[in-house]
Amino acid sequence: MQLMIDYQAGRLDAFESLYAALAGDVRRFFAASVVDSAAVPDLVQQTFLEVHRARRTYRPPLPVRPWVFGIAVNVRRRHRRALVSAGQQRRAPLDAGAEPSSPPKDTVADISIRRALAQLPASRRRPWILHHVHGFSFDEIGRRLGIGADAAKLRSSRAMRALRSLLAGSRGSDDE
Amino acid sequence: MNERIAPPALVDRVRRDLTPVHPLKRPIVRALVVLPVGLVLMFGSPIYWGLRENLGALSAWASWGLSALEGFAGLLIVGAALTEAVPGRRLSARAVAFTIGAGVLVPLAITLTTYWMLPAAGPSSTPVRAAFECFDMIVVWAVPAVAVPAWLASRAWPERPAVAGAFYGLGTGVMADAGARLFCWISSPTHVIVSHGLALLAVTAAGAAAAALIDRGRTAMRSPR
Repeated sequence: MQLMIDYQAGRLDAFESLYAALAGDVRRFFAASVVDSAAVPDLVQQTFLEVHRARRTYRPPLPVRPWVFGIAVNVRRRHRRALVSAGQQRRAPLDAGAEPSSPPKDTVADISIRRALAQLPASRRRPWILHHVHGFSFDEIGRRLGIGADAAKLRSSRAMRALRSLLAGSRGSDDE
Repeated sequence: MNERIAPPALVDRVRRDLTPVHPLKRPIVRALVVLPVGLVLMFGSPIYWGLRENLGALSAWASWGLSALEGFAGLLIVGAALTEAVPGRRLSARAVAFTIGAGVLVPLAITLTTYWMLPAAGPSSTPVRAAFECFDMIVVWAVPAVAVPAWLASRAWPERPAVAGAFYGLGTGVMADAGARLFCWISSPTHVIVSHGLALLAVTAAGAAAAALIDRGRTAMRSPR
């Protein structure tokens, strides 16, 4: 939070520290949720550029991470819209629960996880993604989804158990 | 590439206009900017259209007091919309349900209270015309008024533009209804629910459409070419 306050005061080193603290998580967020992995570095940069443009919309002492990820969500929406308008979108997003069609750059493990995730109910999938992919705490997830932190933790843990079982099953069927 | 070090091009871009900024004020404080709009809707529209003839039959608290209460509820809904508009501050499902509930139940409760105190049915021969007139009189004031909260919300960047827009539309509609109940002499719940309710719905839709359009415009302006 102090970093953001310093950044709003006009300190460049605060921006660089903010980037160092969050760029990895933002990159993982895009890597998990956009189709073309080649676009990820660009989207990370766009996110931090928008963070810069929108820096006055951050209000201390609120947590910085949800604010940055809110901007990342908007950048992702804009990216998807641009893809649609360019007629280049090749497959539906992960959150929609659709089957991936032809993911050229994903590993087999990525594809299996995506497929397994798509089989989970959204009520369990979302807490799991928010925690394990985006790095939100259960308190933050609870606030975001309008449920208690304990409920968020329980749903994520059930999702994890279901994923393990689904992945074990798919590995077994691949081996046959 | 080390992902912890910002690319030089990005750092240069940031350095170029790294002026100190003041953070946005709390949403409810920002919603106060809409207060003059609310006052115009509450006082301007009944003065323009003419106060209801049977206004004197209601006590001051039942006429102006309840309208002030409804207008205040509308302002709070606009405050919720401005909270929703800030990235990372999207409202929880419970808060969304509460806001929608407030937008529906407050005008409904005030309508029923007014009818209980002063039952005034509309013209039985031309109910549709009366409904259309009220709808028209509310919408013509409320839809342009949506521009102010739309501008306020667009200064942030909502994750769910349609939700933020629907909320500031709903808030503006509720404020407009606070004025409408001072010029519309019919207190029959059927008339109010159908005519004023549809107007509220139309203003809500106008807010959602405005927010979506603003978001698309922003996308078009900022998309990398």
